[in-house]
Amino acid sequence: MKIFNRIWTKTLGFIVLLAFTAFFIVPVIWLLLAPTKTDHQLIFGNPFSFGSFHNLAHAIRVTFTYQDYALLTWVKNSAIYSFGGIAIALVASIPAGYALAFTNFIGRRTLLGITLFVMIMPATALVLPLFLEANAVHAIGSPISVILPFSFFPFGVYLSYIFYSSSVPRDLLNAARIDGCNEWNVFRKIALPLARPVVALVAFFAFVANWNNFFLPFVMLPSNSNYPLPIGLQDLLSSTPAFNPGIGGDVPILRPELAVATIVAMAPVLIVFLFAQRSLVSGMLAGATKE
Amino acid sequence: MSPVYLDTLTKIYPNGYEAVHDFDLEVEDGELMVLVGPSGCGKTTVMRMVAGLERITRGTLRFDDRVMNDVSPKDRDIAMVFQNYALYPHMTVGENIGFALSMRKLPKSEVRKKVKETAEILGLEEWIDRKPGQLSGGQRQRVAMGRAIVREPKVFLMDEPLSNLDAKLRVQMRAEVTRIQRRVGVSTIYVTHDQVEAMTMGDRVAVMRDGHLQQCAKPQEVYDNPVNIFVAGFMGSPSMNLFEATLNENADAFKLGSQSLKLSAGVLAMKPALKKYANSRIVVGIRPESLNAPGPQTQKGDDDVSLAGEVDLVEALGSELLVHFSTDAVRVEAEGAVSEDAEGLDAGLIAQRGAGVARVEPGAQVTLGGTTTFSLNPSRLYFFDSSTGLSIVD
Repeated sequence: MKIFNRIWTKTLGFIVLLAFTAFFIVPVIWLLLAPTKTDHQLIFGNPFSFGSFHNLAHAIRVTFTYQDYALLTWVKNSAIYSFGGIAIALVASIPAGYALAFTNFIGRRTLLGITLFVMIMPATALVLPLFLEANAVHAIGSPISVILPFSFFPFGVYLSYIFYSSSVPRDLLNAARIDGCNEWNVFRKIALPLARPVVALVAFFAFVANWNNFFLPFVMLPSNSNYPLPIGLQDLLSSTPAFNPGIGGDVPILRPELAVATIVAMAPVLIVFLFAQRSLVSGMLAGATKE
Repeated sequence: MSPVYLDTLTKIYPNGYEAVHDFDLEVEDGELMVLVGPSGCGKTTVMRMVAGLERITRGTLRFDDRVMNDVSPKDRDIAMVFQNYALYPHMTVGENIGFALSMRKLPKSEVRKKVKETAEILGLEEWIDRKPGQLSGGQRQRVAMGRAIVREPKVFLMDEPLSNLDAKLRVQMRAEVTRIQRRVGVSTIYVTHDQVEAMTMGDRVAVMRDGHLQQCAKPQEVYDNPVNIFVAGFMGSPSMNLFEATLNENADAFKLGSQSLKLSAGVLAMKPALKKYANSRIVVGIRPESLNAPGPQTQKGDDDVSLAGEVDLVEALGSELLVHFSTDAVRVEAEGAVSEDAEGLDAGLIAQRGAGVARVEPGAQVTLGGTTTFSLNPSRLYFFDSSTGLSIVD
């Protein structure tokens, strides 16, 4: 009876897992197979069929050459905005978390509370005031109007604070002070090297948030050459006859080409995730182990 | 190397809590001074004030003739061994030990040389390139010591460095630490709650309670002549048996419960102050080893008095027996909070059933559940004022 129960539970569990996996993975498989088919095949053929390499080559060529290799420009822009944002975010949040965890200053608790509060505010709500600010300093259209807001990352501050207050014992810093470190060296030689897991964590989350951000660059950047990938994708979408019947052109952007562009937009996040995975896990568990 | 002078050191926290009160201490050059006391007595706070990790509210701290109150920790030229070692986990053993030297911008070759010498003293040579996470507790403790020794500081501060080690290792490391301290000859303040460490390691022992210094003297002196009930009960294991007693009219005998014990003329001559307590209540202290049970090795002295007790438990240690007995006397507890049902007793005393412990020879004739009559030499008795807790001397 017990064995029957176990087999039944395991099978049920397996079925449920399979169902959920299918739910998430089927669209991705469809997406990966889409560039190998023609537009017609995509709609009327079997969703899981493999088209041909010829179709694949054509789709890739058309997508990349669209508007003079615009896709590559968009990738470049996305990279600049994201990495620029991450760099500034890291420079700001790691020391901020350290200070919140270990120093005692007036308003520390208030600041922590405000950080938490701002963290849960939707970024979209801030876009309009940010636009007005950027406009006032004539920054509209320049990369800085995107990079600076991208680097505003209270979640990073909070992660850093949690990490420092739970994983770095105060006495470790006191030992450094007794060993002759001034406050800057305590941070640079002891606290910062220990923060490797949280740097990876913050960088990852900041990257994902920034790479996929649509609304802010949409509002700040009017010119095509400045577009990051999400905006570019939308541009591409509006050139697809299927989605925009009025459009015409030499070589139309059809759905397989759109699929190529989407894959190009997705790939970096996947790659970053694969590399960051190890640090992510140890970073998440940082609070569990004490020295 | 320099002597350390603590002059009426006081620490009051912002919320008003007074952790240390008017603390006076002199640590001589090269001396190992042990600060001992129960948890929360303020010993770690005193040490952190010496280190510069806590601000001194009142009083003066001097290393030799230089006032250190406002000097930052990095400029005090001290070295500290923390209870949890506080080793830098991202650096190797060698880098940990040499960290302070490299902060002082010494040339790399010299740092390496000193680190190697220190590692040799501590037996750490083969682990120089390992990280602390790969070492055992005892090894980490030695690295922490190495980090302190290599700096040749003016003062060593050790905050319960052995408390995280298992019992056997602790005994070994006790001797190691003492040996190293003697070899290096640096004035050391050693904080512990373990009175065995205090007795075996200290050149002098300073007993603390509730932020106050109780007594500071050589270990044997603190053991033989405790200045009050607290020190008497704290030093020594098993702790001193303390009972309420009443002195008779001539102060030449006292009643312990229903038993009467006579004091010889010699005892009275040594402690004439006892006369002032005639007909009043005092507290009598008897060290467990002063009580002898009848046995092949016991020799009864002429002045010996008897104390009968019902045997509750016998612990055989091999070299001796610990006999737990009870009497109808009122037991006095030296430590801990005063309970609500304490009746008119001051100085932190609470009454318990008249239980005591005797340390007797392994061949003694004691039967569990039976009554044993212990003999003891009255000159080894201790007497304390029951309201102030102070020892009755002279």
